[in-house]
Amino acid sequence: MYRVTFVDADGQATELTANEGQSVMSVAVANGIDQILAECGGSCACGTCHCYVDESWTEKLPAADDSEQGMIECLMNPTDRSRLTCQLKMSAALDGLVVHLPREQY
Amino acid sequence: MATATPKASEPGTAFEPLSVAFAQNPYPAYAALRDLGEPQFFPDFGMWLVARFDDVASIARDNSMVRSPEFFMSHEEIEAEKRAQNWHDMPHHSRFVQFSMLDSDGEVHDRLRKQVFREFTPVFIARQRGMIQSFVDKLVDGLIDKGEIDFVEDLAAQVPGHIIGRVLGVPDEDCPQLRVWSENVVKFFDINRTDERKAIAEKATTEFYHYLQKLMTQRRAAPQEDLITRLIAAQDAGHLNEDELVSTCMLILMAGHGSTIDVLGSGMHALLRFPDQMERLRQDPGLIHTAIQEMFRFESPLPFFHRYSTTDCVVGGKAFPRGTKFGLLYGAANRDPAAFGDDAGSFDVGRNPNRHLAFGGGAHFCLGNHLARLDMEVIFTTLIKRLKSISLAEVEPQYKPGLSVRGPKALRLTLTPA
Repeated sequence: MYRVTFVDADGQATELTANEGQSVMSVAVANGIDQILAECGGSCACGTCHCYVDESWTEKLPAADDSEQGMIECLMNPTDRSRLTCQLKMSAALDGLVVHLPREQY
Repeated sequence: MATATPKASEPGTAFEPLSVAFAQNPYPAYAALRDLGEPQFFPDFGMWLVARFDDVASIARDNSMVRSPEFFMSHEEIEAEKRAQNWHDMPHHSRFVQFSMLDSDGEVHDRLRKQVFREFTPVFIARQRGMIQSFVDKLVDGLIDKGEIDFVEDLAAQVPGHIIGRVLGVPDEDCPQLRVWSENVVKFFDINRTDERKAIAEKATTEFYHYLQKLMTQRRAAPQEDLITRLIAAQDAGHLNEDELVSTCMLILMAGHGSTIDVLGSGMHALLRFPDQMERLRQDPGLIHTAIQEMFRFESPLPFFHRYSTTDCVVGGKAFPRGTKFGLLYGAANRDPAAFGDDAGSFDVGRNPNRHLAFGGGAHFCLGNHLARLDMEVIFTTLIKRLKSISLAEVEPQYKPGLSVRGPKALRLTLTPA
């Protein structure tokens, strides 16, 4: 079991546990983190599971692939810390990950 | 009509999608299907109906569940199936409608979607807001003092096709004709595929194709800031061929017409059937986003899509072989109390979270969802602001028959300006 923390737009933090290989999106959806809409269910097709990775983690994550990067560029308010939580899979390397949530996904 | 599913023990629960009772209220039949648990075989379409939210969601989101049967059927088998469904001998329909991004999978689907997806993302769609607002303002100016209108024909039907036409690059004066072609093509998708409807659908596709050919020739000679010009550039760069370009334009135009008109109509009807929710939205216009999300859940305008399994699978506790065709009943899944609670049958403009399946799921997730939402947001916000009251001017609006669409044929309203 790994830990992942979601910080909402008001600064409220929620720490949750995740299994090996589980997407950060599915951790959020399964635990009532309602700011992650994840409307397409994890196919990188809707752009509604946007998060801002905490500064302390940006260097440690695998880079976004072309389809994720293409989607991020077209989201509301993207930054260089933007990621889609459906594409972030939990592993020992990501244990303790902290992500920040936008107030709205679109 | 031959139906195996389910045996009607309660009135209104028989699964008879062409009946008037089903058109007026399909939800008792959907509930009966959900209660049966495992998928039920529906001989009219040769497929297994899936009604529970969890089962529908997991199939829609599963990349091993595909739209096209070509992964496991030979050309001859596909042709035989087409004949059985009266889906054959339609050269243009077969070339541009039966083949599309929607009905392809894997690499082909992803390549085609990539050519257009940027235009439909929130940032790009938000740029259309001013254009949509001024178009809707003009329409409302012409209707506001009429007293009584048909909301479907006079307002809803005028907007989405016009807006999607603008995005693609169709001149305003041609948009009404595109709507006629779109409707004639889409009507043929339902179960009653008569030869007469078939001839109409093929004729509409042919005329639509010739129209797009002419428009493409014009854009090649004089490029514009529109999607069709960008698609021509993508064709020149080798990203898609001409048939794929025509098919993609037709899909975008068809997808951008009917379903948004239908959910505008059923969404307005829902606000009138639940006056406390209309009042809540009036008091707190900030609820418009959750209200629209709820309109899609409550009366999903495209309540039915199919998938084929490419592997042996288990759905709803029952084992199925590779090549099984499933009918996903989004309209049933979106009223499932197991996913939305005991008030799944109520219309709640503040419902949140509201992870419904009206836009489908997985790789085929509705590309145009943000455009549809923006059309709706502008229309409902404008009407609520400019009208003191909106009321229903008929007893029971009639809904379109069939399985593949849901929306009122007409919705007569009495308007009182603010």
